[in-house]
This record gives sequence, structure tokens and C-alpha cells, in this order.
Amino acid sequence: MSSIPILRIRGHLLVPVQPDLSDEVVNRLQNDVLEAIAGERDRSGGLLLDISGLQIVDTYVARVLADTASMAALMGRRTVLCGMRPEIAATLVQMGYLLEGVCTALDVDDGLDLLGLPR
Amino acid sequence: MTPGAHASSTERLQIEAEADVVVVRRRARELAIAQGFDAFAVAAITTAASELSRNVWCHGGGGHALLETVSDAGRVGLRLRFIDEGPGIADLELALRGGCSTGRSLGLGLSGSRRLVDAFHIETSPGEGTTIEVLKWARFPH
Amino acid sequence: MLPDTTPVTPDAHTLALRLRFFRIDPGVLARLAALRPFAERTMSDIIDRFYEHLLSQPETRDYLDDPALVERLKRKQAAYFLGMFRGEIDLAYVQGRMKVGAVHAKLAVATQWYVGACTHYLQLIHEHLHRERASDEERRASFEAIERIMHFDVSLAIDAYIARHHESRLRHQEAIRELSTPVIRVHDRVLLLPLVGTIDSARAQRVMESVLVRIGEEHARVLLLDIAGVTVVDTQVADYLLKTTSAVRLLGAKTILTGISPQVARTVVELGVDLTSLYTRNTLSDGLDLALSLLDKQIRTIDQERV
Ligand SMILES: Nc1ncnc2c1ncn2[C@@H]1O[C@H](COP(=O)(O)OP(=O)(O)OP(=O)(O)O)[C@@H](O)[C@H]1O
Ligand SMILES: [Mg+2]
Repeated sequence: MSSIPILRIRGHLLVPVQPDLSDEVVNRLQNDVLEAIAGERDRSGGLLLDISGLQIVDTYVARVLADTASMAALMGRRTVLCGMRPEIAATLVQMGYLLEGVCTALDVDDGLDLLGLPR
Repeated sequence: MTPGAHASSTERLQIEAEADVVVVRRRARELAIAQGFDAFAVAAITTAASELSRNVWCHGGGGHALLETVSDAGRVGLRLRFIDEGPGIADLELALRGGCSTGRSLGLGLSGSRRLVDAFHIETSPGEGTTIEVLKWARFPH
Repeated sequence: MLPDTTPVTPDAHTLALRLRFFRIDPGVLARLAALRPFAERTMSDIIDRFYEHLLSQPETRDYLDDPALVERLKRKQAAYFLGMFRGEIDLAYVQGRMKVGAVHAKLAVATQWYVGACTHYLQLIHEHLHRERASDEERRASFEAIERIMHFDVSLAIDAYIARHHESRLRHQEAIRELSTPVIRVHDRVLLLPLVGTIDSARAQRVMESVLVRIGEEHARVLLLDIAGVTVVDTQVADYLLKTTSAVRLLGAKTILTGISPQVARTVVELGVDLTSLYTRNTLSDGLDLALSLLDKQIRTIDQERV
């Protein structure tokens, strides 16, 4: 099984989330991301979850993404969910899943703007 | 059965493991795209397929899905059925209202799926299982 | 019959009902099958004369200006003709007949020409039947059987016409909806959606979708949602507005609700709708100022003396 790529960019962690995840891979993603955060020496950067490749986000995936953001926040990392597709936003809202506590950006560029330079 | 809709041959997919949920939603997505669904309708039916097949797997103790394309007076659509012989849904009204889950989650799968489709039909009885049928029509593109 | 129902491709059950209504029973089907030698014998004369007739009429001639096309149609016509004498009507038959209707509808052959041509066809068959050596009783029964199946076929063709009409009506409705929701780019990364008229759930959904797509395309960070032209703002409409802003937020953009009149402000509060999580402004111009400040920009009057 392929491992989840986690990149470093301008002091932040960037996770490009792969399309059509199985529940198992989603769980692994959460794990790997939290491990990566814990392993970082420089703790000042944020976390960017790039979901522009995701074609579908059901309540399971949405929940894991939201949970991951909350957990990262507990570990001192601001998280930005970047690049959600229009049809996914519409679907989640129709289902009543608003991801209220999660910070969002149009794409990774905007996400980086939002996070600014690491303190 | 949805009255009036003319159905194609039916595909049957087992839902026995978590990985089957991915198979069902992937196939639903392929069929929706082949039927000319626009991106929003594709996302809607695929998400509903994912929610309902996951429910079959985790609440219904496994079962199967039936997928078929339908046509009716120039419209085309997709009809999906999710069938299990699990415990059934004890309080259907509550489960459909949303925001209620016997698990740890938000409980938006069932109520949310219902809002994503054009027709939603559910039959359930305690101890005998649950059958949920959804239908979504392709709309004309933007 | 309900006037506004659209015809449906029959399933086995409705096909059986329809056959019964046309009094096409196994006896009639057997008679048609027995007429097959007759059909094969007379086919080419009937079809030739049929096309002669079509070519002699100005209304139908226009569709048949190409001799190669006429030859092709004659071959198709032969298959169609023999189809009536198979002694069997199944769903494939029905679909085939509806397809013939759909093709004519697509070519915009008016129903009067279509049905009129069928009448002429029937006339030609009648003439040939008359020359057959058979008792009057036999001839009458044969003609009746052919008449029934032809009328049955025409009914299917008409259904296909109606289906096509229904479909084009749906398309028009879509087009009109589309026109009624323009999304305007008012500034770099700022879009304006002026909502006008009444909003129902289908329209709200469509509006939301086109706004989301445009935000993605234009890379917009702020959406000005102006509701000054909305006739009624009730809980339902407020709910649509909230949904749209939620979805816009999920994409990573912000919504500013503008054009909130005193009446709207009053109803929203009286209905107990909570809009406090939204950016709201009374006028569109105030909204634009806010949009620019969210982008760290502003509009200033240039100092006259320094110009
Ligand atoms: N096929 C099924 N068999 C038995 N019970 C079911 C079935 N589907 C749903 N349920 C019941 O209905 C409830 C609501 O289902 P719903 O999908 O809305 O929420 P959920 O699965 O608990 O959470 P999620 O939001 O993650 O989907 C479930 O908690 C479960 O008790
Ligand atoms: Mg569920």
C-alpha cells in the first residue's frame, strides 16, 4: 500500500489528499498526519490539507478531515482545508454537514496566504 | 419500484467489507457519468451511494446493492437499491430526522442521502432487515 | 387521461394494457403473421406508391430532396412494413416504433403529415387487399387487423413526439433559469450575484451551483449576494441563503449579504433566523467597501489639488 505523502512548504505541512479514499486509507491519513506533526522540530507552521483531488467527500471522510483539523489544533497547528470542489461543497451543505469549525481556502496558495509566514 | 421508469439490466454488488463501499460508490459514479449526469448530480448520487452502502456494511451486517440505469420520457436516471438482512431500523422517524446516530457520528448519512436524491424509499422491519431505494435523474447540463 | 402526464416507454404490464385497448389479441397477431406472404408480395409496390405520394406533396417533398436518401428510406420502410406481420409485439418492437416517431419528431415532421401519411399507407394496403382472392369476411378481418396494428404504431409515434416536446420544454426552462441568475465579476476576485424575483427550492439549488462554479473559475474570494430584488424573504428563503453562504465558505470564499431593506431586517428577526454569522450590509455599495477591505484594498477619493 502506498504511503501518504506529506510535504513541507514554507515552514508548513502540506498533505495532498489522494482521490477516492477507502475508509482505511482515510484513517491512516489522520494517523500519519498527526505523527508527522509530532515529529516536526519546528512547531510554528500550519497544516494544509489539499483536497482538490477528492471527487467525493461523504460524511465519513468529512468527519475524519474535521477531526484531523481539531486534533492538529490541539497540537498547536492551525489547519486549512484547501481546494474543495464546488460539487462537494454543495453536496455536504445539502446533507447538513457544514464543517463549521474548519478553516477553508480556495487553493493551496490562498491557504498559505491565510497561514502567513511561520511565527 | 418507481412507477413508469423503464429500467436497464441490473448490476448486483456485494457489500461484505469496508472496501466494498468504495467499489459500490465507484460504480455508481461511473454509471452516473455515463448517463450524462452533471458534476453536481454525480457528486450527489455518489455520496448517497457511499452513505447507504456504508450503513449496509456497518449497521446492517452486510448485504448487497443493485444498480440500474432508468429512462422515462426522454429523461435518464440511476436507481440504486441497498439491501440487508440486518437488525432493521427500530425508530425510522428518528433515523430519518437526522442528527441522531447509534454510533459516534453526526448521523447525517440517512437524512442527508434523502436530500441528495429525487426519490427515496425505505422499507425496514425489526430483525428482518432494511431495503432502501433511491432514484436520481440526470438534469440538463448547465 | 391526465393532460400533463408525459408518455413513458411501456413496460411489460403497460404494453399488455395498451394491446388490450387496441384489441390486439393473439388471434389478431396470428392473422397478421398469416398475412406475411401477402405483405412480401405487395410490399415493393405499396412502398413505391407511398413515396410517390410523399414526393407529390409540397409539404413532405421538402424532406425528401435527395434521391439516395429516398432509396435508403424505402429500404427502412420495407423492414418497418414487414415488422407489422411478425405476429409478435414485444418491448423491442415498441422501442423500435417509438424510435421511428422520435426520428420524425427530430426532423420536425409535423404530426399532421405523419398521421396523414399513415392514412395513405393504409389506403394503399386496402387497395391491394381488395385484389386478393378471399371472402369478404376474410378481407374485412385482415384489414381490421392491419388497421389495429397501424393505429397502435401511430399511438407509439405520438408518444415519442410528446416525449420530445416535453424534453425540449425542460430544456427551455433550464435556459430561462440560467438567464435569471447572472453572476457578475465586479472587481478582481469579487463576484456579485443580484437575486431578483421569487426563489423556490429548484432555483435556489441552481443558483447555488452556478455561484460555486463561478467562484472556482474566477478564483473569487468574496461573493456579494444582493437580495434587494427578492420579493419575499421567509424562513425558507433565509435557509437557502444560509446554505449558499455555507457552501461558499467551504470553497474558501466569503459571502456578504447586501440589499437588506428594513422590511427584510424586520421579518428575519421576527422569524428568528440567525444571520449574525454572516457579513451583512444595507446597501450594495457598503457591501463593496467591505469586500475590498476584506481583500486589504479600499476606494479613496483622489485629492483634487495633487492631481
Ligand atoms: N441498514 C441499516 N440497518 C440498521 N440500522 C440502520 C441502517 N441504516 C441506518 N441505520 C440506523 O440509522 C441511524 C442513522 O443512520 P445514518 O447513516 O444517518 O447515521 P450513522 O450511520 O450513524 O452516522 P453517519 O453520519 O456517519 O452516517 C444509524 O445510527 C443506525 O442506527
Ligand atoms: Mg451512516
